Amino acid sequence: MKRVFYFIISIALVSASCNKQNQAPETRLDEKVDTAGNAALLQYAGRFVNGPYGSAMGSAKIYQLGNTRFILALDSVSISNGPDLHVYLSKEVQPLNFIDLGRLKSTNGNQLYEISGMPDFSAYKYALIHCQQYNHLFGSAALKK
Amino acid sequence: MNKSYISLLLLALPFGIINAQQSKTNQFADLSVNAGKSQGTAALSYVYNWKLGKKKKWEAGLGLRLTGYAGTKRDFTTAPGRLARSTTIPFVIVFAGQETQNWDTLTVQRPLVGLLNLSANFGYALSSNWSLGFNIDLIGFSVGRKSSAILTSNGVTRNEPLAKPAVFNLLLTGDNDLGSLNSEFFLRYKLSPQWSIRAVYQFYFAEYKTNTVLQTAPDGTMVDRFRNKANLFGLGISYHFNKP
Repeated sequence: MKRVFYFIISIALVSASCNKQNQAPETRLDEKVDTAGNAALLQYAGRFVNGPYGSAMGSAKIYQLGNTRFILALDSVSISNGPDLHVYLSKEVQPLNFIDLGRLKSTNGNQLYEISGMPDFSAYKYALIHCQQYNHLFGSAALKK
Repeated sequence: MNKSYISLLLLALPFGIINAQQSKTNQFADLSVNAGKSQGTAALSYVYNWKLGKKKKWEAGLGLRLTGYAGTKRDFTTAPGRLARSTTIPFVIVFAGQETQNWDTLTVQRPLVGLLNLSANFGYALSSNWSLGFNIDLIGFSVGRKSSAILTSNGVTRNEPLAKPAVFNLLLTGDNDLGSLNSEFFLRYKLSPQWSIRAVYQFYFAEYKTNTVLQTAPDGTMVDRFRNKANLFGLGISYHFNKP
C-alpha cells in the first residue's frame, strides 16, 4: 500500500510540472538612491548577518523620499543563492509578521525596493533575505536609527 | 448539484443490484494523471458499476480512489461555507454568490496531499466504443506533509510554518464540503474489451488547516480552514476485469 501511495505521489509531483529551483539572478546591480540635495533622507540602517540557511553580507538602509515614500536599499550585498528568495521587512528575525517587498533582484550589488504603505518602522525593524518556498532564512539586518 | 448525484446513486443502487443478477457489471481499475498550472494529481481507483436500464446504456456504482495531489505556491481561500458563500443550503450553495469580502488567502508553498476516498461513479454509453462519465468522492481521509504558508489578510502577511492537509473528507455539496475531494467528467474510448482510455476534466478540492496563524473573520470567529479549487485536465487508462 505504501509503495502504491508513493507511486501516486511521484506521478502527481511530475505532473505538477514543478518549478525549477528558481534561484535569484546573480548579475551585479547598481541601483542607487539619489541622495543629492536632501532628496532622500536616511532613516534606518543595519548590517546583514548570516541566517541559518545561507549567508548575507552588506547593509540595508531605509530612505524617506518626500513625506510618504520609503525605499529599502540593499548596499553592496553579497548573498548566497537559493530558491525563491524574497526581501522582507519583518517584525521578527524569523518572519511571522512581515511585508514582502518582492523577489530578490540579484544576489550581488546595490538594489532598491519600494516600501508600500506607511509601515511602523519601529515594529518592522528587520530586513530579511528569506527563501519563501522552504521558509528558510538566509540573512537578516536589524534596522536602527 | 453534487447531492443530486448521490440521490440518484442511492435510488439506482437497489435497481442495479437486482439488475446485476441478470446482466453484466463493469468492474475496472483506472489510473489517471491530471495537471493544471503549477499543480497536478495522479489517481488510482477501483470501480464496481452496475449496468442499468433496458438497453444497459447507463451504469452507476461505487469505487475506492487513491489520489495524490502536489503543487507549488497555490492559493487557498477561506473554506467555511458560511463565510465563502451567501447561503449554506445544500445544493443551492453550489450556485450561491461568492462572499469574497470574507476571503483571506493562504498561499501554501508546497502542498502535497494523499487521499483515500469512497467514490460514486456514473456512466452513459454513447455507442459500443464511446461513453461519457462522471465520478465524485464521497467520504474518506487525507494525509500529507506540513508545509510553510503565507496568510494574506487585509494586506497584512503572516507566516504559517505548519499548515497541513485536513484529515477528514466528506462531500456535503459545494463549499459545505470538508477536506479534499476529487471529481471527474470524462469521455471514454474502448480500445479493446479489456482496455480503455479516458480524456478527463477534473475538479479537485484541497483543504489545508493552519496551526499558528488564524484568520479573524468579519463575524469575529477564528478560521483555520482554507480551500483550493483546482481545474485540471488529463488522461486516464482503465483495465476492465469483465468483458462487456
